[in-house]
Amino acid sequence: MTDLLHDARVSRGRFLRMMGGLAAAAAVTACSTRPETTATTGSGAATELKFIGVADQKAAMDKLAAAYQQAKPSVRITPSYAPTDQVQTSLRTQLGAGNAPDLHVVYPGNGSAMSMTQIAGAGLLADLSAQAWTKTIPAGFKPAFQLDGKTYIFSAGSSVIGAVYNKKVFEQAGVEAPPATWSEFLALCDKLKKAGVVPIALGAQTPWVTQLITYALVPSTVYAKDPTFDDKQLAGQASFADSGWRQAMEMYLELQKRGFFNDKPNGTTFEQQTAMVATGKAAMAIQVSAVLPDFRKAASSPDDLSMFPLPGADDANSVWIPAGVVVGLGASAKGKNAEEAKAFIDFLGKQENINAWAKEIAAIPLTQDSSSTIDPAVESFLPFTKDRAVPFMDQRWPNAEVQPVHFAVIQELLAGDSTIDEALKKMDEAYRK
Amino acid sequence: MTLLTARRTRPAHAGRRRRFGGRFNPETPPWLFAAPALVVYALVVLYPAVSGVVYAFTDWSGIGQDMSFVGLANFRTLLADEQAMGSIGNTLLLTVAIVVVQNGVGLLLALGVHARLKSRALLRVVFFSPVVVSPVMVAFLWKYIYNPDPSAGLNGLLGLRVDWLGDPSVALWSIAGMVVWQYAGYSMVIFLAGLEGVPRELHEAAMIDGAGTFQRFRYVTWPLLAPAVTINLMLSTIGGLKLFDQVFAATNGGPGYATETLSTVLYKQAFVFGKFGYSTAIALVLALFVAAVSLVQVYYLRGREVSA
Amino acid sequence: MRRTFLLEIVMIAVAVAFLFPVYTLVSLSLKDPGQIAQSPLAPPNPPTFGNFTTAWSAAALGPSLVNSTVITVVSLVALIALGSFAAYFLARVRSRLGYGLYILFLLGIVLPFQLGMIPLYELVTDLGLIGTHAGMILFYTGIQLPFTVFLYTGFIRALPREYAGAAQIDGASHLTAFTRVVFPLLRPITGTVLILNAVFIWNDFFTPLVYLGGSGYETIPVSVFAYVGQYVSQHGLVFAGLVLGALPIVVVFLALQRYVIKGFSSGLKG
Repeated sequence: MTDLLHDARVSRGRFLRMMGGLAAAAAVTACSTRPETTATTGSGAATELKFIGVADQKAAMDKLAAAYQQAKPSVRITPSYAPTDQVQTSLRTQLGAGNAPDLHVVYPGNGSAMSMTQIAGAGLLADLSAQAWTKTIPAGFKPAFQLDGKTYIFSAGSSVIGAVYNKKVFEQAGVEAPPATWSEFLALCDKLKKAGVVPIALGAQTPWVTQLITYALVPSTVYAKDPTFDDKQLAGQASFADSGWRQAMEMYLELQKRGFFNDKPNGTTFEQQTAMVATGKAAMAIQVSAVLPDFRKAASSPDDLSMFPLPGADDANSVWIPAGVVVGLGASAKGKNAEEAKAFIDFLGKQENINAWAKEIAAIPLTQDSSSTIDPAVESFLPFTKDRAVPFMDQRWPNAEVQPVHFAVIQELLAGDSTIDEALKKMDEAYRK
Repeated sequence: MTLLTARRTRPAHAGRRRRFGGRFNPETPPWLFAAPALVVYALVVLYPAVSGVVYAFTDWSGIGQDMSFVGLANFRTLLADEQAMGSIGNTLLLTVAIVVVQNGVGLLLALGVHARLKSRALLRVVFFSPVVVSPVMVAFLWKYIYNPDPSAGLNGLLGLRVDWLGDPSVALWSIAGMVVWQYAGYSMVIFLAGLEGVPRELHEAAMIDGAGTFQRFRYVTWPLLAPAVTINLMLSTIGGLKLFDQVFAATNGGPGYATETLSTVLYKQAFVFGKFGYSTAIALVLALFVAAVSLVQVYYLRGREVSA
Repeated sequence: MRRTFLLEIVMIAVAVAFLFPVYTLVSLSLKDPGQIAQSPLAPPNPPTFGNFTTAWSAAALGPSLVNSTVITVVSLVALIALGSFAAYFLARVRSRLGYGLYILFLLGIVLPFQLGMIPLYELVTDLGLIGTHAGMILFYTGIQLPFTVFLYTGFIRALPREYAGAAQIDGASHLTAFTRVVFPLLRPITGTVLILNAVFIWNDFFTPLVYLGGSGYETIPVSVFAYVGQYVSQHGLVFAGLVLGALPIVVVFLALQRYVIKGFSSGLKG
């Protein structure tokens, strides 16, 4: 044994020496590259709040975090962003191991593994109910924010689903006013098709895009007729198969049958869908208003794009729209900085900050004052938001399995591999799991 | 019993072997050589995996304190789970396609750039370059290439009208193509390491004996490539069976469930549906499955090495 | 001579086909969103270098490059040192126990990563290594050891025992025999081990996201993917960041290949 150690010292090969040198060099670099946080806030009194969010929150969150640190220098927010799927995986790992970040992304309502109901239900979200802004949450949005009457998530507002359209293409095809009924909408598509453009770009290769047309139609085909559909469905008194969901699916497939979509929607991605509308190859896309910034970047001029509600009924008065609370954030219930984290959320709840966040993502602010700005593209939705709007459907679904099943059955329907009966049956089965 | 029985008798060293044969008594190195590796490995891989297995027998959602033991219920669920069982077929098809094509292409590339070409250093970099790009990004990039529009991407380039990722009967093969493009260079590098170990004198001697290119490959190169072949086949098989990033980023299992693999199913159960316990049960079954396939492969490869 | 020339032509043609997606990546990185929407695969006209400057400054690629380098280099050193020693033992040992140990290492390649994910995260938290380079280095060393041991063992077994034996007859210890005689002979496979592990560690996205997210020690993929959103992404920046991030590995590979090629043609020239 001693021999071995002795040998180790004297006969180390050139390679090992080189490796040792590299390791030492790396260690030195490691020491010299410590982030400045520890150095500048050297007093030790500063609180670091770790935030994990999705990339879509980056622009708004970075701005407001900077503003907060300005106002309260004793707090430092260290954010980290990633694509949605990876955030979901990494957050669930951290939550599962009992080491939640102080602040993290939360999806409103229920229906996904990172949704307020699921995480708060596991006791992992701090109760925000004492904060002033929670008193002004509009009644229709309460299920998105609250579980058993307590508020667990902050969100800056809502986004809507409708038709994002290219104004130039509409002008060239001689379209004057956006359609107010389903028949007018079909006539519009016909006109666009005859003008030689693809009426509706559909990027169904990207799973979440598949659901948007159903979501845009269901408020009119289901909720306009029965606003309490969600409660009945939860109570087991209603189902997808025996409701306006069937009609919505039929309308979806009618658009395909009439050739209003681009060729091969199942192979077309969200990025390609965006490009088609932005460059005028297609006239519109049924999309959520949150994509407007990206559509505008891709267009030759940002003013080329606007939106109108997709009319899902033949009586203009029974047209309803989907308006969902946008992805928000919550504070960890058990973190050692829970109070500081809640204080930051309280700051976000101030009207000017709600306005700032909403503006960054083209959303309708949760509450509005005179300085609130609303993206001109979504103005046509405002008459609906008061009493003819319903949250995105998944936000009231009892588990996270229904939504992925919805994605899959739509792709199967578009591929002609399934029937509406089978599709709705699968969704009902997933709902009851 | 040895797993990798590479042939130790090299013709070129036959003389030396005889010289030392009588006196050299092969001693094994001390255990201490393996100890540090074992400690780190046990800490980072074995201990967490063993403690993780427990979840397979629970109904844990993945977060929170609620958890109860459910015995073998998760495994019974798996047997009745059409989606999970259906994904096994996709997993196998994808694996076979990847193993065959990736290693075939990898070997040809390795032989090509092992020859004394002027541009061989550069060519190696070119063939290896896809390995360097992160798998998630490769999938993202290939979605541009797999644009179904006949005037764009690969369709435009080759004058085709294929719905690469949207046609349920094509999507799986499109993913395989993307993976082969990315990892052919990976196999190439391992084959090259084997080829570099084939002494050139052997080739020269064979050439003097009048052996043709194919004969030299068959009787000189191929037998000595045995360790590289074994390593490549095993790594690509295991990699294919566990393939996740590329499938998830390219199609997320779609269209419908056409490209769902065991890895995407177990991922979704854990992180999308919040059924961590069930997901762990699938992971355990996958691990046993991969282990079994690897074992079968080892037996086959040993046979090949003996007959070579 | 003519056949070599022909082979060269064929290989270059194959290389051009291989490079098509790489060309796509580089060309996308040189376009603004409007150009990407218009014609994603056409040559950038005119090329926009803004993506690279934005990626460098906005995504803080400088510090990320340092983090990635430190984590990758130290992990590689540990992997090669621990892995080659262990493999030498495993390739030479003849007991049942030794074989069992080898199988135990191989198990690490087979296990799905998800199995131990949460217990491992708890362990790293308990060790106080979340958000540190050390935590990542420990993770990569452990997780890549099976692969490293597998590659080394296969090649050491193919080496004639006599090489080490010759040294030992001269009275050298196992350690000397290994470092002086065996390890240098492993140069081709060490190059392979180095580059394949380097690529994995350099590109790994998920673990650094979980362990380093929000710590200020983010690696390149973590910094770059922060710009990939569901609704809104900065594709140009992401592509440029990935091109910048991939360059160091390409350079290392080029250097390594030249070294390996040179080493052999000069060493074994008959």
